Amino acid sequence: MSATLTQETGFSRDAVVALSEMKNEPTWLRDARLQAWDVYESIPMPARTDEEWRRTDVRALKLGNLHPFSPNGHKEPSLESLLSGFEKGGVTDRDAQAGILVQKDAATAWAEANPALVDQGVIYCDIDTAAREHEELFKQYFMTQAVPVDFGKFEALHAALWQGGSFLYVPKGVSIEEPFRSFTTSTHPANSVFTHTLIVLEQGAEAFLVDAYGSETFEGQSLASGVVELILGKASKLRYVQMQDWGRDMWSFMTERATLASDATLNSLHVTLGSRFSKSSIGSHLQGEDALAEMLGISFADGDQFFDHHTWQLHESPYATSDLEFKTALKENARTVYSGLIKVSEGAQKTDAYQQNRNLVLSREARADSIPNLEIAANDVRCTHGATISQVVPEHIFYLQARGVPYTEAQKLIVEGFFRPVIDRIPVEEIQGFLEGAIARKVGI
Amino acid sequence: MSKTPLFEVENLHVSIEDKEILKGIDLTVNDGEVHALMGPNGSGKSTLAYVIAGHPDYEVTEGTIRYKGEDILEWSPDERAQKGLFLAFQYPTVIPGVSMASFLRMAVKNVREARAEEIALNGGEAKPFTPREFRKLMREKMEMLKMDDSFATRYLNEGFSGGEKKRAEILQMALLEPQLAVLDETDSGLDIDALKVVSEGVNALHDSSDMAMLLITHYQRLLNYIKPDYVHIVMDGRIVREGGPELALELEEKGYENIRKDVAAAAAGN
Ligand SMILES: Nc1ncnc2c1ncn2[C@@H]1O[C@H](COP(=O)(O)OP(=O)(O)O)[C@@H](O)[C@H]1O
Ligand SMILES: [Mg+2]
Repeated sequence: MSATLTQETGFSRDAVVALSEMKNEPTWLRDARLQAWDVYESIPMPARTDEEWRRTDVRALKLGNLHPFSPNGHKEPSLESLLSGFEKGGVTDRDAQAGILVQKDAATAWAEANPALVDQGVIYCDIDTAAREHEELFKQYFMTQAVPVDFGKFEALHAALWQGGSFLYVPKGVSIEEPFRSFTTSTHPANSVFTHTLIVLEQGAEAFLVDAYGSETFEGQSLASGVVELILGKASKLRYVQMQDWGRDMWSFMTERATLASDATLNSLHVTLGSRFSKSSIGSHLQGEDALAEMLGISFADGDQFFDHHTWQLHESPYATSDLEFKTALKENARTVYSGLIKVSEGAQKTDAYQQNRNLVLSREARADSIPNLEIAANDVRCTHGATISQVVPEHIFYLQARGVPYTEAQKLIVEGFFRPVIDRIPVEEIQGFLEGAIARKVGI
Repeated sequence: MSKTPLFEVENLHVSIEDKEILKGIDLTVNDGEVHALMGPNGSGKSTLAYVIAGHPDYEVTEGTIRYKGEDILEWSPDERAQKGLFLAFQYPTVIPGVSMASFLRMAVKNVREARAEEIALNGGEAKPFTPREFRKLMREKMEMLKMDDSFATRYLNEGFSGGEKKRAEILQMALLEPQLAVLDETDSGLDIDALKVVSEGVNALHDSSDMAMLLITHYQRLLNYIKPDYVHIVMDGRIVREGGPELALELEEKGYENIRKDVAAAAAGN
């Protein structure tokens, strides 16, 4: 089989067929891709008249110049070389991980899972492998429940052109403490990366997965269109961390939905640092009683970056709790939008929902918008939300300087302090260290 | 010629938002001396403290401040701290999310590095300072000030009581080992036990080095614990009386109003 490099640019039905052929896919899978392509074609490009896209202008993204996928890469000689671009987000202690997957462009370049876990029925593999070897699970969960194919324009395109990605399945009652680490990277200019994360936890299962996206900055524009589906069975527990550090050519779209059955607990953290443009839609469907979703966000935008985070706390069952805290720092000409909705369905009594968005603006030119929303159809609920947009307090800088700390370091301390309460909620030292380093780099030390 | 004084304020005029607050202050402090600066509320004591520390909002319209013979007015606040000036704030700032320990480590590192550079310039060699030594020093000083261990992990001044904030200021002073410390109403907000502990700490630092101090207070109380060599009384932006420790007692007895009248009478008599 020769890997055909598509030199063509622009998205087309032919590109979908070419990708499916390159991957030697069975007919049913190719047909599913083509059906998704039809859905993509039937949905208009989001316009600024759509509420969710009101502050988000995608007109500057020239889809016609992009390669719909890049060729199947060969496996790299070493994990170290594959992860060299991920700085401290990389794996420092390989034995402390439950499994490692690396997606390079359209293909999987590394895959390993702890054999002891595999013996217990745990599956950790890329989505291509999942479709081939775990067809039933794939058909049951892949873009059927959390993020259906017709969710939106970019989600449909994703369903037609997904590649690589991670599938984690944890059977009933199996609990894993060590993290699964998935890395996705892009190595060509004008590339498109459609990475997919699908996590299914059966009843009482516990797992922890860290998704890291990163690349160097290439000329022109690239596209990352990711979908994350988190399916939490009864009383299962998932910790999910996503760290986005794409190159500055990247236009990143990411749609994530979690579904939580009763007594399930989700702890998620989204870290947004890279890309030219980033639009993330992050939602939790609280479908069972006593479900708990903790949703945290840290983003730091600089230069001409544009970040847009939309969050959804969807209370569909009584007695569930959601606790959201998203924090953004901005400098230079950066522009950010946060928009969050707490939606309580009729009958979701005793909902406890909390939403907080704080923005720290470090320059005159940067601009943050924060739009909290409540939509409540039940009468016995507690919903609290708050949004702040503030600047560094000069007295804080002066106090630190008066103790011998130079201006830039004082600013760094203050920005780190701004994020600290969120960082402290992640009980993983490796990630805390990565975040501290990333913040220091962004402040400009 | 006599030795250059450690610190000299000469004819200092300071304005904020075009309002003149200090109207010609003169003050000289030598190594190891303890000066008390007393005066009623609003007389400009904190303004002087801020100007010494380099607060950007205050404008010096006339006069100079010299430290070891050098004009410091162009120095940034961090440079001043690195060279050995210290201000214990009357109202210490709360900085959310910044832990006391990480902040102190950064402060001490910067001040020590600057000092090491200075020592190197003079042909000497500074002892390296390890994180371990830092922790030891911090524990020692916290013990001296009877501070709880949990304090190091708390955020900077967040949720601290008035007394805890003042102790925290003195802890910072103890770690930074300044050559001139300005203590702005460190006694206010302290109960008598806390005042004793803090004063003992301050005295210990003073006795073990040639640190000079400018104690700003409007009560005599603090001076029972920390003995000044000189007392200056400031009113309406000017030093109106100067003397030894007995002046503080006279002030305590008479009150500011009578001192003000004395000064006015003396001025009228001239
Ligand atoms: N930031 C400021 N803006 C305007 N006026 C100020 C400011 N700081 C101090 N002042 C004024 O300066 C005068 C002296 O204040 P301050 O130095 O704090 O006095 P003290 O410390 O002796 O009580 C007061 O009249 C006060 O209102
Ligand atoms: Mg004052």
